[in-house]
Amino acid sequence: MRKLKALFHPIFIFIGVQVAWIVLMAVWINWYLKNSRKIQEFAQKIRPDLFADELNWLILLEGCLLMLIILAGVYIIFVYWNKQARLNRLQSNFVSSVSHELKSPLASIQLYLETMKYQKVSKEESDEFVEMMLTDTERLASLINNILESSKYDPKNMQLQFQSVQLGTFLREVVEGLKRQFEERNCEVKLEITEDCELMLDTRAMQMVFNNLIGNALRYSPIGAPLTIRVRKGKKYCEIDFIDQGMGLGKKDLKKIFRKFYRVTNKKSQNIEGAGLGLFISKEIVRTHKGQMRVSSEGPGKGSVFTVQLPRDKNSKRQTAANRGEE
Amino acid sequence: MDQAKKILVVEDESHLAKGLKFNLEREGYEVVVAGDGKAALECMREHTFDLMILDLMLPRMGGIEVAKNIRKNDTRFPILMLSAKSTEEDRATGLEAGADDYLAKPFHLPELLLRVKGILRRWDWYKQPVLGQDIFHFGKMWINFATGKANGWSGEFLLTVKEAQVMKLLITKKGQVVTREDLLKTVWGYDREMETRTVDNFIARLRKHFEKKPQKPQYIVTVREKGYQFNADS
Repeated sequence: MRKLKALFHPIFIFIGVQVAWIVLMAVWINWYLKNSRKIQEFAQKIRPDLFADELNWLILLEGCLLMLIILAGVYIIFVYWNKQARLNRLQSNFVSSVSHELKSPLASIQLYLETMKYQKVSKEESDEFVEMMLTDTERLASLINNILESSKYDPKNMQLQFQSVQLGTFLREVVEGLKRQFEERNCEVKLEITEDCELMLDTRAMQMVFNNLIGNALRYSPIGAPLTIRVRKGKKYCEIDFIDQGMGLGKKDLKKIFRKFYRVTNKKSQNIEGAGLGLFISKEIVRTHKGQMRVSSEGPGKGSVFTVQLPRDKNSKRQTAANRGEE
Repeated sequence: MDQAKKILVVEDESHLAKGLKFNLEREGYEVVVAGDGKAALECMREHTFDLMILDLMLPRMGGIEVAKNIRKNDTRFPILMLSAKSTEEDRATGLEAGADDYLAKPFHLPELLLRVKGILRRWDWYKQPVLGQDIFHFGKMWINFATGKANGWSGEFLLTVKEAQVMKLLITKKGQVVTREDLLKTVWGYDREMETRTVDNFIARLRKHFEKKPQKPQYIVTVREKGYQFNADS
């Protein structure tokens, strides 16, 4: 049954149609060449004035051209149809994974609210419940942000507000904000900043990038696996590596990981939540900062390194040079 | 006093697992939490439980796989599936994999507790032998309620929990009319969302197993406008 279904895959249908056209064309040319003399004789009997010798080749060429146009037409229709089918598939995957992502924290919040409504809870218990609800609300907010950023407008036209930021301080603040998540996953974070650098950033957008990268590292790593965030200062750029010891990525996934709605599909990752948006949005945000984002992994099970490369603040460099000059 | 019922909660969302544990313990149940599918199966091997509350999306091994794994060795152990997937198709997949009941997230706490209570009550009823014995014979056929195995017209096969429960209710009330509402209440535990047609579908399936001519049933007879009646000599 599966094999039969595979036969109706668009690509097979397309190849079948194309083969049929080519065979038809070959048969027609063959038939025409074999019978051209007879056709000529027959036509000359009816309208001898219309048929000159050189016209026969013209008709053959016209026929071939017509066939080629039809072939091209079928190809264009196929390309667009395939594109549409891919979009439909992506959309339904997206709706299914996003609804799951939204429902899980919502279910937790509802459970705690109803627990406080129906059960007698002590002050300590109620405080603990509120804390957990707050974490779930943060998770919901971050997901909703991701969805809005990806669908509301083109990331290239994002209205960003750049300001000069000390990267080290900013990263420490981001890590501090995710403290609860690190504790829950029993994850030890190492921040390796040998030399701080000043960057022009939209802090709200860049926080989203770092949150996405750290969130992914936590979700795709076993509980207790450490995470290293390393800052490297270059001449023109500053690079931030997020080094995890999680599931790692295969060659195919490395190529596609930044695509919109793309999610790694294997046995280990099938039950991990995600909408396939975080990395796509992050890359777009980094791009609007005139930076780059890349990923490397030695393979599945060997962890991965996500690198964000951002240009250093030129003014700050000039400032430093000026200060040196003054000295 | 009765010993507390033991429930295994399989949920990877730590907040949800904690909340479920808190509420179930308040209701007097003993609760163990497993964070992933493999841990759940390990727990099942090491301890005895009365019920499993199973999330569908789990790391290491998904909920569907866990349910199928359990059903390989135990066709009767009660499983309540909990999932963010709420379409009819998802529900059907969950029930086909062996869940007794399916609750979509987000859920209402009182409803969850009611369903847990209902499943455990039905489980208690189902565990009792039928007419004082585990195996019930009728004609050349038999049903073993302890293992879920049965011998029908075309040979031996395994009954699902719900099929076995329908047969059990019909057989315990042998010779009497059992209404569709009775069947829904006892076997499914609640009548909201369920239609009496569900019962008719189950009866049709059971007739295929146990009747030589399902159109002219000899054992599971329809009593017009009332319900069904089980007739047998033994």
